[in-house]
Amino acid sequence: MQMRHKLASLIDDSDERFRVDRAVYFDPEVFEAELASLFEGGWIYLCHESQLRQTGAYVTATMGRQPVFIVRKKDGTLAGYINACSHRGAMLLPLQAGREAAFTCRFHGWMFNLDGRCIQIKNEDSGAYDLANPRAAFGLTPIGRIDSYRGFVFGSLREDVCPLADYLGPTRPWIDLMVDQSSQGLEVLPGSSTYVVRGNWKMQAENGVDGYHVSTVHRVFASTMANREAKLNLSGMQRTESGRLTGNVASGGFDFGNGHMAIWAQHTDPTRRPIYAQKDRLEREFTPAKVDWMINRGRNLFLFPNVLLMDNPSTQIRTIQPVSPDRAEVTVRCIAPVGESQAARSARLRKFEDFYLTTGMATTDDLAALEATHQGGLGRRARWNDMARGATAIVQGARNEDAAAIGCEPATSSHNWDHEIMYRGFYRNWLKRLMEQA
Amino acid sequence: MSAPTVDAEVSALVYREAMLLDAKDWKSWLDLYLEDAVFWMPAWQSETATTSDPDNQLNLLYLRQRANLEDRVFRIESGDSFASVPLDRTAHIVSGVLVLGESNGEIEAAASWLCHVYGIRGAFTRGGRYDYLLRRTARGLRIARKKITMIDDKLEGPIDIYHV
Repeated sequence: MQMRHKLASLIDDSDERFRVDRAVYFDPEVFEAELASLFEGGWIYLCHESQLRQTGAYVTATMGRQPVFIVRKKDGTLAGYINACSHRGAMLLPLQAGREAAFTCRFHGWMFNLDGRCIQIKNEDSGAYDLANPRAAFGLTPIGRIDSYRGFVFGSLREDVCPLADYLGPTRPWIDLMVDQSSQGLEVLPGSSTYVVRGNWKMQAENGVDGYHVSTVHRVFASTMANREAKLNLSGMQRTESGRLTGNVASGGFDFGNGHMAIWAQHTDPTRRPIYAQKDRLEREFTPAKVDWMINRGRNLFLFPNVLLMDNPSTQIRTIQPVSPDRAEVTVRCIAPVGESQAARSARLRKFEDFYLTTGMATTDDLAALEATHQGGLGRRARWNDMARGATAIVQGARNEDAAAIGCEPATSSHNWDHEIMYRGFYRNWLKRLMEQA
Repeated sequence: MSAPTVDAEVSALVYREAMLLDAKDWKSWLDLYLEDAVFWMPAWQSETATTSDPDNQLNLLYLRQRANLEDRVFRIESGDSFASVPLDRTAHIVSGVLVLGESNGEIEAAASWLCHVYGIRGAFTRGGRYDYLLRRTARGLRIARKKITMIDDKLEGPIDIYHV
């Protein structure tokens, strides 16, 4: 009851304003509730199927605090297990990824097949077990649910969750905009980078769909690119699409329900995007409205609670792992259409490196800004974060014709990515989910 | 006085680069690079291997001309980069400079590095290996390629060209 009262006091959702108590980023009890309810209590993003093409291929991950691994089984389906031996709990797979015919625990040598069944207990015969078939009693523990949508793999530690398709809801046509860029699907490219945010995980979630910061924080990226392009006389895909960074383009924001959020902005020159080379094919295969969304609009999609899918001049999966109230780990991967030209692939990677890394020239500045909001938030005498921008511009549901044209019905939207209307959806869902288990 | 040995020449260049970065003497630092220089820091693709094919794999830095290094200096000097105000202080320690070979006026060399960084996020030390391709020019030895392997993988704080 005390927790419910505390949670309710953190969001000021009165008609004229929307404010969030900065305690949401600092309170240890709130953080524990988030891990239990959100990260260990419902669907979260795990990995991409291209990382698990062959039988026995696996990746390890963390769901909340719990180590898991996802593996491609012999029947071609995916399974997820707690990454711990059923015997004494030693972590079974110590690497980020790999491929095995069976899994052997390094502690006492027990073995498990890809179906999670125990297939060997070392010295079983001399073990004096009080069981007729000890191996049958010692399978790996599966996670509650695993499913994928068009290559993106999600899991839930709890079994009693709604189907993944229902959970993703109207974000599915948005995911399609990315996946349909190749008839062969998407692939995660080798190499990744993980960076530490000295701040709360929600700051990264907010930043990923924050259109309002772009024209201040990334103004320097746009001016650096303009300087480069003039100096080197670059053309085509070698140039960077930075018109959307400096404003004066069509844009918008979406609250997709279930805490999912998105922003988009019109590209001033889509010929600079690697996907533009495929315009003719896309126009043959898809409706003009869908092709317009795919080629002419940069998009950032946040799927609650832990992944951002970005489709701008380059394309990215960004996952967020909470560590403590004041610390999160973020991993970025480049995802690309299978079979694109070498020129497009190279351009996509260079654009990624320019922008999306903490060794690059934009995510670096985002990280510094996030950490500054953490530092400023320590001034607890100042209680509220204001998220009221766009209050009178909110468009309800299907009235957004732009979204309807691709079969997508948001909860609410705005025709300006400077508006912060999507955070209302994020925090309302956040509160609802935490209240359900408080 | 006899002519300096190749070892001494290479060491002097490698140490000079480290000193110029720590001193934030960007103009002199850029002058060490040839116009078509490659400045490359691969990403890790597993616990043991970095990426090795920049056209098909992700890198932390892959700057293919001196002009792209100049971008970094432009950004730092603009005063408009959130991550670059204030700039961190750095102290590079470069050691084990080894000339691996010389042919046709090009020298391959390697060294190990540590960079101690102090700034508003506190202090970090990162490290790894440098692989250089150097070229003899009328103005002396210059850098044609520098590959930086940074062993650190979970990165704290923004990292720019002067942090590695």
